[in-house]
Amino acid sequence: MTDRSSKWRLLWAVLAMSLVVVACGGTDSADTDADETSSSDDVANDASVETSDVEGQIFISGSSTVEPVSVRVAELFEDVAPDVFVDVEGPGTGDGFKKFCAGETDISNASREIKASEAEECAAAGIEFTEILVGIDGIGVMTSDRNSAIDCVTFGDLYGLVGPESDDVESWADANAITGTDLPDAPLDIFGPGEESGTYDSFVEIVIEDLAEERGQDAATRSTYSPSADDNVILSGIQSSDTSIGWVGFAFADNATGVKLLDVDGGEGCVSATAETIASNDYPISRNLYIYVNETNAADSPALRAFIDFYVTTGLDEAVSEVGYVELTDAAKAEVIAAWQG
Amino acid sequence: MALGTIGDQDVASRVEATIQRRGRDVRGTGFRFALFAALGISTLILVILLVDVLTDGWPVLTDRLGDFWSGTLRSRSSDDSLGISQGIVGSFWIAVFVAVLAFPIGIAAAVYLEEYAPRNWFTSVLDIVVRNLAGVPSVVYGLLGLFLFVKGTAVTNWFVDRVNNRWNAWYGEDLIELGQSTLFAGGVTLAVLVLPIVIITAAEAIRAVPQSLREGAYGVGATKWEVIKSQVLPFAAPGILTGTLLALARAVGEAAPLILVGAITGRLAPRDSMFSGLEDFFGQFADRFTAMPIVIVGWVQNSGRDEGFGPAAGAAIVVLLVFVIIMNSIAVLLRNYFEKKRG
Amino acid sequence: MTDVIDDSIPPPPLTLDLLAGPSRRRLKERLISAVFFAAAIVSVIISVLIMFSLVREAWTFITGVDWGVTWGEAGWFPRRGLYDMPTLLVSSVIVTVVAMLVAGPLGLGSAIYLSEYASRRTRSILKPVLEVLAGVPSVVLGFFALFFISPQLIERIGRNAWLLIGALIIVTYAAVVALWARRQFAEATVARAVIIKRVVWLTVFVAGGLLLAWWVLSVAGEADAFAVKRSGQLAAAAVGVGILTIPLVASVAEDALASVPRELREASAGLGARQATTTVQVVLPAAVSGIVAAFIIGISRALGETMVVFMAGGAADAAQFTSSPFDGGLTMTAGMASLATGTDNVVGEGLTFQSLYFVGLVLFLLTLLLNIVAGRFVARVRERY
Repeated sequence: MTDRSSKWRLLWAVLAMSLVVVACGGTDSADTDADETSSSDDVANDASVETSDVEGQIFISGSSTVEPVSVRVAELFEDVAPDVFVDVEGPGTGDGFKKFCAGETDISNASREIKASEAEECAAAGIEFTEILVGIDGIGVMTSDRNSAIDCVTFGDLYGLVGPESDDVESWADANAITGTDLPDAPLDIFGPGEESGTYDSFVEIVIEDLAEERGQDAATRSTYSPSADDNVILSGIQSSDTSIGWVGFAFADNATGVKLLDVDGGEGCVSATAETIASNDYPISRNLYIYVNETNAADSPALRAFIDFYVTTGLDEAVSEVGYVELTDAAKAEVIAAWQG
Repeated sequence: MALGTIGDQDVASRVEATIQRRGRDVRGTGFRFALFAALGISTLILVILLVDVLTDGWPVLTDRLGDFWSGTLRSRSSDDSLGISQGIVGSFWIAVFVAVLAFPIGIAAAVYLEEYAPRNWFTSVLDIVVRNLAGVPSVVYGLLGLFLFVKGTAVTNWFVDRVNNRWNAWYGEDLIELGQSTLFAGGVTLAVLVLPIVIITAAEAIRAVPQSLREGAYGVGATKWEVIKSQVLPFAAPGILTGTLLALARAVGEAAPLILVGAITGRLAPRDSMFSGLEDFFGQFADRFTAMPIVIVGWVQNSGRDEGFGPAAGAAIVVLLVFVIIMNSIAVLLRNYFEKKRG
Repeated sequence: MTDVIDDSIPPPPLTLDLLAGPSRRRLKERLISAVFFAAAIVSVIISVLIMFSLVREAWTFITGVDWGVTWGEAGWFPRRGLYDMPTLLVSSVIVTVVAMLVAGPLGLGSAIYLSEYASRRTRSILKPVLEVLAGVPSVVLGFFALFFISPQLIERIGRNAWLLIGALIIVTYAAVVALWARRQFAEATVARAVIIKRVVWLTVFVAGGLLLAWWVLSVAGEADAFAVKRSGQLAAAAVGVGILTIPLVASVAEDALASVPRELREASAGLGARQATTTVQVVLPAAVSGIVAAFIIGISRALGETMVVFMAGGAADAAQFTSSPFDGGLTMTAGMASLATGTDNVVGEGLTFQSLYFVGLVLFLLTLLLNIVAGRFVARVRERY
């Protein structure tokens, strides 16, 4: 029981804080420390009554990459507003927008920005939406930690090693013939996620697509490597071969042992993958994660508004990193909150 | 073979040996052993399967069975409120749909086929249709459910409009929303799936009713329906019951059609009590749902990123197996009991 | 109808109307029979609906799709508009064949044992095993295939690939030698018989030695000749499907064996045949149609099994073309399930939704064909006895 009530107290506090942030809106809150602490109790009491009383149903569909974030936020929100029922599914960003623009969902998770064609579809159906940036997904490119020959790869290297023209590339040096890179001669073992995964999509989109288009190829990886849905399997594959290469989501890569995270050069020099470089968009293989909110529904439903309020505060602070993505910088968070409030 | 060597001197002793089974019949014993091994391996597989599932699920079952029973779908396996309650509720209502829809229709169809149907081409077509339906892969039933209830057709739209008009008159809102997977869609799909099984087993049970029983009843002036009601159905009841239990167990364990119809694997919020009023009671049928097998599938998939979901899936399987095996065992015991009694 | 029988009044003449009973009672009868008929018609309606839904959506696919993307070895990427049927078909064939390699011998063997050998008591103990196995939901087998069969059996086979290949070659060789020796023995003198015996023993020892050497080598080298994919392969899924199919094969085959008249067995035994001879040369040939039917129904079931392959087949959502059982892949059924997982909303680029129905139609027609053929075989057994 004590455990439970302390959890509750914590959540009230979190809620109170978040509402303070919301109340302060765009104004800089750092200079009013004393006022803030004194007023937070009142705000918390008022707000808690309000939020815990809202009722309603929220349905979220869309990207399977963002799905865990939204699920986690919904779980946290459930403790704050037990009468709001949030269901989440994750068929994919494109599927989600189809539903969203048909008015079937309140929120659409997306691992990319909405396409012009999709936005037109929404407009035609009279659906207005707000885009909210919630986090960043970085992709770590790795080799075995016994491999000292290489520390940094360019997009060109990666294209030559795993791109659509590399079905017959069996040695690192074979890739040189494709994009004129200068890689050493060593056997090449590739491990990566399968096509169903958001990580695969992002990798192709960011690393492969531009070069593939230039060279008149499909935007896809080579088909001659064995993909896995299980990140652990990918990691143990990379560990198992001295001259392996592979890629998984950054959070997973960062905690792994026996592998070496490679720096990546996206045209502006080698950048090592850290939470900071990803949050600041310096590291080239990263993508933004969004949620899109149906504005009409938000205007009609206090529950949906409360949920988004919660999402842009506690969600951004806790859920994003818990699920394994990179949190926004404080400045970016403030911007997101301001945009939602505005 | 022994006969082939008649004329040999020791034929008498060989025949004697064969009759008395003296000497070793190596090939015969080997053959028998191989056959027994087939059955033995099947048994061994079942034992290994049960042990594997049980050991995988053991930590969850022993540590937190109560929470596990009442918990919900969660994003992390370490969450205290991770559990199967939503799966249990979903599977329970699916079983109710099957019992309410498939059992009466299936048994009535069996009665028609065995008692009423004239011997003509139409009856034989009917027979073939039922048999082939029983062999249709379950995933195809899922496609049917997706087409009828989720995507919506003229017929379903008409039906849904009727229901919604009525509901609107009472509560001022729509009950069923097409284009969304609902417990209703899942339940009806599975009822359709097990219908042929119910028909076939019930028809077999009715066929086993001795003709003399019917003739006796006709003899005292009973009509056909009276004969069926008072003689045929009571006699066939144990067999029919066995069939319905097997069908129920099948429906509870079936996942493929529900995946197609769109059972939720992501997050399903805990709902209000469905017994708080008529609206909530019926409202849940028009709501998103999940079921035990779907919960298991979802957790097995999650185990790729969060290993703790493996034991959770194992524990959920143990619970599912307990239900299914109990239903199957009751069915088998019932059948054996009555077979013995009558045999 | 009357309570008191009065002999003094002559009974009214018996007419057809009277025999037919009161009209209300007749009406009720007719109504009830109509209700039963309606219930029976439901099956027909369902069949029609299944075909209608499959054909309607599949037709959109058939008329709209660029056929170039449905035939090749490009892989099954339905969300990208690559609907390569050979990818799914080859995987389906692999799974079905491997599943039947498991279910065929085990199911048939169990059936023969239960029907011809088992005592009443053994039967009452072992028959329920098959019945319990028949009731195990396919998600359970999926779990078992992924977490047990795959690491404990298939990956082990991969690690000991050379050992197994060696063993297979040696066993085949030994079998050939044994057959040869047997033929030689038939007309051999004592001296030759001794030589032949020596040859056989030498073979056995050499083979054993080779096997040992092979094993040592394969352990040392950890050769993975089959390039086994980790965490789920078609082979693991197929073994799981096979386990699910055992009870079905066993039950249909047992029915077939049971329908062989007792007289045939008695006549055979009366001629002095051993039980094994009776079983192999009398009962099995008599029941052959039913046994063939059991295999066909098993194949149909294995082809239609979804969840085991979906969970343990080692591919999700999309699959590259593969012809190795040790690779990950999607069968027709698993391809459909993974496309539709977790949502009621299947959209993609173009005909993704319709591709579900196209695959469903192909699967439906294949299983229908198999079931009809199996039905013919079953009917043949019935007609014969």
